[in-house]
Amino acid sequence: MSATLLPAAPTGAARRRVLRASYPYLLIAPAALITLVFLIYPVGSVFWYSLQHSNILRPLDDGFAGLDNFRRMFTDEKFWDSLRFSIKWVVVEVSLQFVFGLCLALLINRTFVGRGLVRSLVFSPWAVSGILTTTTWILLYNPSTGVGKYLADAGIGSYGTSLLANPDTTFWAVVLAEMWKGIPFFAILILADLQSVPLDLYEAAEVDGAGTFQKFLSITWPHIRRAVVIATLLRAVWEFNNVDLLYTLTAGGPAGATTTLPLYVAQTAIHDRDFGYGSALTVAAFIVLTLASLIYLRFNHEKGDEQ
Amino acid sequence: MTRSTRHTSSIPTTTTSSPGTITRRSFALGAAALAAGLTTGLSGCGGDSGSAGGKVTLHLWDTDTRPERTANLKQLIAMFEKANPGITIKYLGLPSDQYMQKISTAIATRATPDLLTPKASDIAALVAQNALEPLDERFQAGGFADQISTAMTDSSKAAAPDGALYLTPATSLADVIYYRADWFAAEGLKEPTTWDDFHAAATTLNNPAKGRFGYTLRGGNGFFSQFVEMVYPRAGVETFFTEAGVSTLNDPAIVAATQEYVAMFGKQTAASDLTADFKTMVAQFGAGGAAMLSHSIGSYPTLTQQLGSDAVKAVVPFPAANGQNILTGRMTTGFAMFRASKNKEAAWKFLAYTMGQEGNSFWAQKSGYLPGNKAVAAEAWVPKNQPMQAALAAEKLPTAAVLEQPFYLPEFSAITTTALLPEWQRVLQGKLQVPEFLSAAAAKLTEAQATYAKAPK
Repeated sequence: MSATLLPAAPTGAARRRVLRASYPYLLIAPAALITLVFLIYPVGSVFWYSLQHSNILRPLDDGFAGLDNFRRMFTDEKFWDSLRFSIKWVVVEVSLQFVFGLCLALLINRTFVGRGLVRSLVFSPWAVSGILTTTTWILLYNPSTGVGKYLADAGIGSYGTSLLANPDTTFWAVVLAEMWKGIPFFAILILADLQSVPLDLYEAAEVDGAGTFQKFLSITWPHIRRAVVIATLLRAVWEFNNVDLLYTLTAGGPAGATTTLPLYVAQTAIHDRDFGYGSALTVAAFIVLTLASLIYLRFNHEKGDEQ
Repeated sequence: MTRSTRHTSSIPTTTTSSPGTITRRSFALGAAALAAGLTTGLSGCGGDSGSAGGKVTLHLWDTDTRPERTANLKQLIAMFEKANPGITIKYLGLPSDQYMQKISTAIATRATPDLLTPKASDIAALVAQNALEPLDERFQAGGFADQISTAMTDSSKAAAPDGALYLTPATSLADVIYYRADWFAAEGLKEPTTWDDFHAAATTLNNPAKGRFGYTLRGGNGFFSQFVEMVYPRAGVETFFTEAGVSTLNDPAIVAATQEYVAMFGKQTAASDLTADFKTMVAQFGAGGAAMLSHSIGSYPTLTQQLGSDAVKAVVPFPAANGQNILTGRMTTGFAMFRASKNKEAAWKFLAYTMGQEGNSFWAQKSGYLPGNKAVAAEAWVPKNQPMQAALAAEKLPTAAVLEQPFYLPEFSAITTTALLPEWQRVLQGKLQVPEFLSAAAAKLTEAQATYAKAPK
């Protein structure tokens, strides 16, 4: 009697069922492990360090900080200045890159002699590595060897000037350098979507007497709108996190005028080795980006539903 | 003088049971292979220095990778290897503006090399991470205390928070003011010997319409070095802190000297100097865009290569009104050994070689740095290096005093770069007054000094 109450030993069929059930999990295990090690752990450690005093130059002062680093942030003018500049940088860069990228895509979507060559030239800046891009622009803006010097030789402008060293022109100088790299990104994505628009729609619109602008608004834009939303969102995130070009061209100057929040994080954590406060700044940037992305997607989702 | 004032995956590939199942053995093998692969991959990230068959391989990371310097350092390594057949040194150049990031990562992951060429200003950060091997005992035992300049040894020790020797006093930098001797001669100007001469020459030789400026002022990254070189000697202030540990940065004489220095910006200098860093400044001088440049003697080989030795001469900063000659930029530029090195004796042999006569003579001559070895300083080639000769002659003046920068302060680099650079550029733009700038800077340094004084050594 008592033997019937004991759980039966798993049979071979039961064991196979368990293994079969766990098989998908084993298949995704490597990817899950990699995600855990290379994404979840680093992000989690940044959150952890944001609650710590962690400065390798002052190891004796290290320890739990609670919300001290976040309180410090609220009174840190550099944080607010860098956040304001980051927003201005993202809005200006993404807007200009989108407008010029859209114009380029519409232009090279037309049929003309040499279109292949023009497309290659348009896309080439995107294929150039970041370090080459910044080095090129550094040379162009150099007061001793750059364009300014040759213009001065020709009697245009003055010697010893540089767009990067003039507080009135620095912002637009770095915007121009980043646009050169970013416009092809929009052009590529929009062109890919433009080529999927059925041509008979345009023919029908022409029969109905629609003009170029009307065709764009009623046919082209609805087709490319989703791609534009994703492209602008991606580009906004990338531009927000832009460090290499700004760091190399201006190092955030002059006088902190081009310091974005990620650049401030780099200065704090990498140069000053204050990982606690640097992590808190990173958490702030993470929250800002997440909220901005959610609002942007929600807004565009609602607009899409209306349309 | 006390320091305080001075200064596989688990997917079955072979199955013996039914398809789709995983044996315990294959899972374990897969996991082991994955772990081994990861371990191998990670260990491949760092150096694998060690000895095999009596041969020792050392790894050296270099933090200053100017092409001509790299070539000279590789030549120095070749000379050492020839003298020490059992030892091989593998050279790795790090990006000049990001090397500390690479080193900090290596320290955290225990993948440091054996040898490093740190700057004196890096020592505090490296010692705080317990990364460097103290060299005091080996230095004494090797008899270098008698062979090497005492001032240079003291300066090297002064860069460490605990006062120990981590950086070999092999060579040292020294600040000089370079001037275009050919331009001076063309205008009938004599070599400047006073601050008045300097300012008069900067005004006379300033010709913006022709793209020539009287002076190039470092307004960008690294500004603090040139600021100190031009302001402290002018003011005649010989220490960074008073006996009470208060920063001298807002001393009235320093304020006056800074105002005079700042007044040159935009008048005898290019407007682009607002963001000029080391490379921009040296390029401007080398391209014939400036008559005078404040920098270390280490730039001499590069400048003479660009302009010729007859066109470039150098003087040390001039005496102050109180008659004192304040010598600045005396920063040791040696080699260091990582604490985690598994071949410390071989690494020390290299460090000793760079301080011995053969290695030190080659390295000092080629790099243009002041030699630490006293016998090398007396060699025939030294007087032929005009800036070096000027710097060595200045040391012998009875009125000379060496200004030591407080590199031992862990926050020194953060204060003088991240914190002060934007404010300095605001001063140059006229958006911040010199006294306010200096008072705020002095307060930061005084606080750092007070924290340092309280910290256990």
